[in-house]
Amino acid sequence: MSSSKAPPTLEEFRVRAAQTGLTLTPEDIEHLHKGYVGLLALMERIPSRWAWAAEPPHVFRADE
Amino acid sequence: MTDLTTLSIADAGRLMARGEITSSALTDAFLKRIEAVDHKIASFITVTADVARAAARQADMEMKGGVRRGPMHGIPFALKDIYETAGIRTTGHSHLKSDYVPVIDAETVRRLKDAGGVLLGKVGTHEFANGAMTPDQPFPAVLNPWNTKHQPGGSSSGSGAAVAAALCMGAMGSDTGGSIRNPAGYCGTAGIKPTYGLVSRCGIFPLAFSLDTAGPLAWTVEDCALMLDVLAGHDPNDQGSAKTAKVDYGAACHRPIKGMRIALARSWYEGKDSVTADMKKGIDEAVRVLKDLGAEVEDVVFPDIWDYHICGRVIITTEAHAIHRQDVIATPEKFGYTTRRRFQLGAFISAEQYLSTLRFRRQLTLDTRACMRGYDLVMTANHWGAPETFEEPQPIFHFLGKPSLTMPFNVTGQPAATVCCGFGSDGFPLSFQLAGHAFDEASVFAAGAAYERATSFRSKRPSL
Repeated sequence: MSSSKAPPTLEEFRVRAAQTGLTLTPEDIEHLHKGYVGLLALMERIPSRWAWAAEPPHVFRADE
Repeated sequence: MTDLTTLSIADAGRLMARGEITSSALTDAFLKRIEAVDHKIASFITVTADVARAAARQADMEMKGGVRRGPMHGIPFALKDIYETAGIRTTGHSHLKSDYVPVIDAETVRRLKDAGGVLLGKVGTHEFANGAMTPDQPFPAVLNPWNTKHQPGGSSSGSGAAVAAALCMGAMGSDTGGSIRNPAGYCGTAGIKPTYGLVSRCGIFPLAFSLDTAGPLAWTVEDCALMLDVLAGHDPNDQGSAKTAKVDYGAACHRPIKGMRIALARSWYEGKDSVTADMKKGIDEAVRVLKDLGAEVEDVVFPDIWDYHICGRVIITTEAHAIHRQDVIATPEKFGYTTRRRFQLGAFISAEQYLSTLRFRRQLTLDTRACMRGYDLVMTANHWGAPETFEEPQPIFHFLGKPSLTMPFNVTGQPAATVCCGFGSDGFPLSFQLAGHAFDEASVFAAGAAYERATSFRSKRPSL
């Protein structure tokens, strides 16, 4: 998602992880933090500003 | 006497129709080879020898009586172990399902059996078609038959390895981000990810609803077409299933390709990230062969490969989390260490991020369609180079490295086949993809089969 917001630190991520309902080990959280930050960097390619009426497909159909 | 296990489905069908071989002889040859060889590559989780012999006897009896059910009649095949099979355990290569015995067959399995196919057994997969094969899973990792120090690709690992090693004539896989085409490419088989909605997913463990497709791997493109002839068709029990006209894919393999227009997506595999020199040479040579066959091949610049890659990856991460959330909360220790983290990651993706990604998907689909205007097919590399070795620990988030060359056609839903185009200096197969417009599998098969007939790469098998 294109935004200038900095990715979460490990500490910030840990707080967020506690709210997910998942049972996570400290090692899980470290891996997930790396994965999430990496994913966020790649997601810079995805526009975050869309026409408000740009409706996503409910069920993807290749024949639409 | 011909080695029965290296016959193509097409040839075996012709020989059975003429009464020159029986399904029982064919099935016994495969069962013997599985017993003799499979311990070297661990492709099978469950071998259903009795079921196979009974189905083969039935097929022989029917054919002797003049009944011919179609191209899969009497043909031994295997199933990725995420396809539910009545009375036969379906494990998903996971501790979570290691004792699960379904009561009904997946719709695709039902169709294969109705067509007279002979089920040899269930083959290994990345856990739930996603995680890597790690030592904390209940079944051994499947090995690449060309070099057992290397991985066979995934997630339909057992399907690719078993077909290449001549342990079955065809095998079912599933493809959400490349899981049919990766093992097909690394193991040197053919394989097709059909158009989203063409083949039922009912009764197959899901990974990501809006991307999941089911399809065959076989030694030749024509054999994939013959399997798809049996598999394709609307299923009211699959929400994504499309109502489409019946097409004879087997016949499509014999269409001439003179005048066919092919867009070469070279920028995907020769940009900042680049395939190996061997792969580039193999694809360049394949372009020359297709041109000699009368096709027109032109470079076309498509959207950036990373756009498709991240779009598909966010969708898979989010949808897979939704599917497996209860289990990763209740029994995280039952997953392999890569699978668990990949399924957990989706908990951190917001609804807005997911919906923006779906909007992005629509935009990429429309942009791809615009690039393909005036062309019948897209051609591009199937994978970057040699498969990875089995080093522990394996990367948790493999998608942070190079982009997936297979993902574009999962995002757009188009059909895409893997075609072997030679062998590298390291001995591993080289391959390219051919992708068609939605529901135009026929053109994909026509070009792929014409290419295979014009080259000799189908005569080389791994030695085990």
